[in-house]
Amino acid sequence: MTETRMDGKVIMNEDRQNRIASWEAVQQGFRGTGYIADRAIATTVYLAWHLGKPILVEGPAGVGKTELAKTAAAFLDLPLIRLQCYEGLDEAKALYEWKYGKQLLYTQLLKDKLDEIVSRDNGFAAAIDKLHRYDDIFFSRHFLEPRPLLKALEHPGGAVLLVDEIDKADEEFEAFLLEILSEYQVSIPEIGTVSAASRPFVFLTSNNTRELSEALKRRCLHLFIPFPDAALERRIVRSRVPDLPEKLEKQLVSFIQEIRGLDLKKAPSISETIDWARVVVLLHAERLTTEVVRDTLHVFLKYQDDVHTVEERMPQLAPLLLRNDAG
Amino acid sequence: MPRCSCATTRADPMDRVLEDFVTALRLAGVRISVAETLDACAAATLVGYGNRLLLKDSLGAALAKSGREKALFSDTFDRFFTEFSCNATVPGQEDDPSRDAPLPEDPLSRMLLQRDQAALAAALQEASRQAGIRSIRLPTQRSLYTVRILNALGIEGLDGAIRTLSGAGSGVSLAQADTLQAARQELTESVRRYVEQQLDLYGQGLVNQYLEDALRKTRLSHLEQRHFEKMGEMIRRLVKRLNDIHSRRRKAARRGHLDFKRTLRHNVPYGGFLFDPKWKQRKLNRPDVLVICDISRSMMRLVRFFLLFLYGLNEEILRIRTFVFCSNLVEVSDVFDRYPVEEAVDRLQQGADLPIVMGLTDYSRSLKDFRQQYLDAVTRRTTVLFLGDGRNNNADPDARILREVYQRCRRLVWLNPEPRSFWGTGDSEMKRFLPYCHTARECNTLDHLERVIGALLARTRH
Repeated sequence: MTETRMDGKVIMNEDRQNRIASWEAVQQGFRGTGYIADRAIATTVYLAWHLGKPILVEGPAGVGKTELAKTAAAFLDLPLIRLQCYEGLDEAKALYEWKYGKQLLYTQLLKDKLDEIVSRDNGFAAAIDKLHRYDDIFFSRHFLEPRPLLKALEHPGGAVLLVDEIDKADEEFEAFLLEILSEYQVSIPEIGTVSAASRPFVFLTSNNTRELSEALKRRCLHLFIPFPDAALERRIVRSRVPDLPEKLEKQLVSFIQEIRGLDLKKAPSISETIDWARVVVLLHAERLTTEVVRDTLHVFLKYQDDVHTVEERMPQLAPLLLRNDAG
Repeated sequence: MPRCSCATTRADPMDRVLEDFVTALRLAGVRISVAETLDACAAATLVGYGNRLLLKDSLGAALAKSGREKALFSDTFDRFFTEFSCNATVPGQEDDPSRDAPLPEDPLSRMLLQRDQAALAAALQEASRQAGIRSIRLPTQRSLYTVRILNALGIEGLDGAIRTLSGAGSGVSLAQADTLQAARQELTESVRRYVEQQLDLYGQGLVNQYLEDALRKTRLSHLEQRHFEKMGEMIRRLVKRLNDIHSRRRKAARRGHLDFKRTLRHNVPYGGFLFDPKWKQRKLNRPDVLVICDISRSMMRLVRFFLLFLYGLNEEILRIRTFVFCSNLVEVSDVFDRYPVEEAVDRLQQGADLPIVMGLTDYSRSLKDFRQQYLDAVTRRTTVLFLGDGRNNNADPDARILREVYQRCRRLVWLNPEPRSFWGTGDSEMKRFLPYCHTARECNTLDHLERVIGALLARTRH
């Protein structure tokens, strides 16, 4: 590494440290990128960065868990490397894989060379002996395909690593993550231990479809993002859909808040609120009438049963719309 | 590194406070490791103790790692970091003659007469540490700790001062003695309140522990409604443990030996180079469980907890079909597919949307129903769990039908909530069912449930 690059890196790091100097700074910065973070979120991000700990983010679907990692990447000006978890995810998909095809191709191409090496010696044992001196070539960096985890470790200058929906992965995968999360290094049998060039900032998200292991939780700071209260949700909608008239925004948010109280299969999340707000803007609706709501129910309700439930409740919910309309 | 700061500044009084807080959290039921405590120290050092809410968020991120723990944390935090209020300083009137009188030598009396709240609070903190308040666990220890703290505060000196003052006989010193006497009463009261608070913090865990131990051995049929939630929580913990143990074993069974045939076939395109080895995979043996429950009133509680337990297990380690009967028999597997376990069990209890007749228990009719409609479901891989007290209201139970089930299945396990000595007494037909069971056990406490299901998993999974 050259002298100048070193300097550049140091300056960038300092800039980053300044940017994340306090939790208020984090909150401010996140607002700049359009993410409204409450105190708990900002504090946890601030702590995690300074303590060098991963953050485990839990909460219902669509409250902005993944978005948080994206925002942090944008805010810190770091590349975002994302690993989507699913059942059966293994090291080959998450960490690294050998490029079998390339290895094969090279052995074919180099066949003559190999012949040459081998044939010069007579005697089988001597040939094998000779080959042994070359065999590491095929298990070197050139034939290694880095997957997200390795990429995040090796990225010069650090990166934001997002391990999305960790609860979908198997329990062994969780165990496998432990080394990376606490030591920021991995062992590749053929090559050795790879340590992080610069410590990645790790976010893990979970929808709580199963309990994560104690060992994993112990290594992380824990952040729970619940559904936001009305005031916070309005701020979020305002920041994401600025075209929405204020009166509509108030109606819309209070309606969604009310609906969350109903017995639904899937309560609408912030992402659904935002979708709905966008749709309402596209429809050029002046205010939220019962008809408009009926027509757009499917935007924020994802099950037919839920749509029915809400339609049945419309007589009770309608006064709410009117009240906010008048206010 | 910030992590080490805690270890090196061990003497920092705030760290000691944090240690006490962690103890309180642990007793409240939050699991906290040493590493997490160090994280909390580092976090507290980073954000400082100035902003209460900020401190709460920071410690919460480092210490509480689930929704349940977050709630416990929040509660404990609020109770732990309450300002200690000591009203022991009696508000004296402005024209109180004792105000200008010379103060007695005794430090506690001085504090009280000078109405020095801050010093008093600090003295109390120190005294309670000397008294070892952290070890308080039982309500019966309240007075012991109150006395210890008062002694550590120097109550004897105060008493001495009062005696001297009242003995002096002058008007001023008598007034002073009266003030002190009132203050002493207030002080004792505040210390008692403080000890009460601390007992709340530190004692809860032990009470919980006793309760849990007792609940594990309580007959489910006698369980009180108010303990249902606690029971549900204990079941969830047991289930999680079983899931952990058995899912790991499932994965271990996957690793096999080199499958040479498949490897050769698979590597033909590579010109015979064995690049991509294939491994033999053992087929997973997921036990097929068929549950038949008597849901007459006497059985409902046991059935409820049994099903909560069984359906909590991973689908991957257990495949379940459930039938319930009273006067007739119906399958309810789809209720469990459609709703979360707890809700499904509630629905069963209310009998919502089910074509079941809740009259007298009729084993004969129910077994016939089963034979007629579902006997095909029983294969030699099926384990049949039969939950019932075997009491058939003096009618013939047609136990022979059970024999057909017995012959077809891998194992038939009968779980009876009554103790063995009651089997066959009165209208119990247990003795007539017994020949057709591989095992029959008494099952009516959480301990029994755990043993039965543990055995089921261990036996069928190899």
